[in-house]
Amino acid sequence: MEKKYKLVAKVPKTPKSAYDHGRFISSLIEHQIKHFHEIEKSLLKPGQELTDITKIKTELQASEYLKKMTALLHPQGAEKPRRVAPPRKTRKRAKAAKSKGKGKGKGKTKSKPGKRKSR
Amino acid sequence: MMENRSFDHMLGGLMKKYPKINGLTGNESNPDMNGTMIPVQPNAKFQGQLDHDPDHHFPGVDLQIFGGTPPGPGRVANMQGFIKSYATQGTGINASHAIMSYFPPERLPVLTRLATEFAVFNGWFSSIPGPTICNRAFAHYGTSFGNVDMNLFYIQDPIQSIYERMVQAGHSAKIYYYDQQSSTMEIVNLLKNQPRIFGTYSQFIGDCNGNTLPEYSFIEPCYNDHPGPGGGQILASDQHPDHNVQEGERFIANTYNAIRIKQELWETTAMLVVYDEHGGIYDHVVPPACESDGKSAPADKTGTGAAFNFDRLGVRVPAILVSPYIPRGTVVPGTEDPNGRIFEHACIPGTVTNFFLKNYDQRTSREKNSNNFLAPLTDTLRPDDDCWVFDV
Repeated sequence: MEKKYKLVAKVPKTPKSAYDHGRFISSLIEHQIKHFHEIEKSLLKPGQELTDITKIKTELQASEYLKKMTALLHPQGAEKPRRVAPPRKTRKRAKAAKSKGKGKGKGKTKSKPGKRKSR
Repeated sequence: MMENRSFDHMLGGLMKKYPKINGLTGNESNPDMNGTMIPVQPNAKFQGQLDHDPDHHFPGVDLQIFGGTPPGPGRVANMQGFIKSYATQGTGINASHAIMSYFPPERLPVLTRLATEFAVFNGWFSSIPGPTICNRAFAHYGTSFGNVDMNLFYIQDPIQSIYERMVQAGHSAKIYYYDQQSSTMEIVNLLKNQPRIFGTYSQFIGDCNGNTLPEYSFIEPCYNDHPGPGGGQILASDQHPDHNVQEGERFIANTYNAIRIKQELWETTAMLVVYDEHGGIYDHVVPPACESDGKSAPADKTGTGAAFNFDRLGVRVPAILVSPYIPRGTVVPGTEDPNGRIFEHACIPGTVTNFFLKNYDQRTSREKNSNNFLAPLTDTLRPDDDCWVFDV
């Protein structure tokens, strides 16, 4: 939060022990799966196999099935892959690289040999 | 829209400090299977107390509301069947008392703060005395098309979802589900046919940051525990028993913050926090009668031996309206006040349609005649320093 606010209320963290993807699915999730199964049936192409949803017992299994179906219906909802920032060169490393000089740069740099800019 | 908690369970404890809020005196009770009267108790837990999911299907809610008196002329709702209903699920006598539990306000710092800082509705009820899917349908369509259960429903012309109405009229609207692993709950037909009106929660946050939020947004919490990207853990935030209530608090706080910290968005947005139904958990207010939506569910569908004409509401749920145009401590009176107003989920498409589309006829008269939930808004903007931010 960049701006300073006058009235700020702390919200407690949820304990890590709350997480249990092995929890058996509730009737709510069971019905959610059944609804997606109806859609799956309507989209089935010849040769494709229908998911056996009777095997879905846990929240993890449910989430995997829901992801598969939702990705099919709404690919725009896919998580964007996280950008991994390239490691920053320390002065020491930059100097060493400079003295080695001219070789092919390691990693995925696109800069052309001889035109590398120091950061 | 959150999941499965009653008004008294979440907000009932506020009445001691805020007498206008129609909550609990502490003397409300229900008989258990031995006939012992069990009072409400401020001992609700975040998780592990309602691990048998309390019954909230149509026959179960009928028992909760009418105390076990079968349908027939002259029967009177008394809200005396909650423990009886929970005990039928094999909980054991002592565990069945947990259905009378409620949260002391300090245990729910987010919901409590929003309820007391903005507007809380004393009379917001689920649309049907039944489960999630049919109730959520009212929030999207203003009707459940005659359904009182969890089955996949099929939309009947000419009624469209509020999102389709908006988009076709040149406005913008979106349903943000949490992520693909959690997905959307009740409207898979809409997801199949109208995927462009959907987004994810991270897209909602991006839309808030970029000031590109649609004119109307519906936000779904996470419905299951699952691994997150890069090996993290995503917790269910829907508050459905037995998911952790604290995580739902954090979800509400994050959603509020996303709007609150963007000044332009904050000054032009009203945020409604509402629960789909009570989840089988005790509330003391008898649900009132309502205008039918012209549908009827036959006896074999209700499971009570009697047809249901959609002419009375389900159990009361928490509902809070947030905006800097709402004076602190606003309480919208409900059934306890002769001048009170009754709200239910058909008010959502009803209010949004009236606000953006004005005279739009292709909907039920129940939705058309529903109360405007934006009524607590005033013309006076509260100073920025007068409104809280959550440190999540």
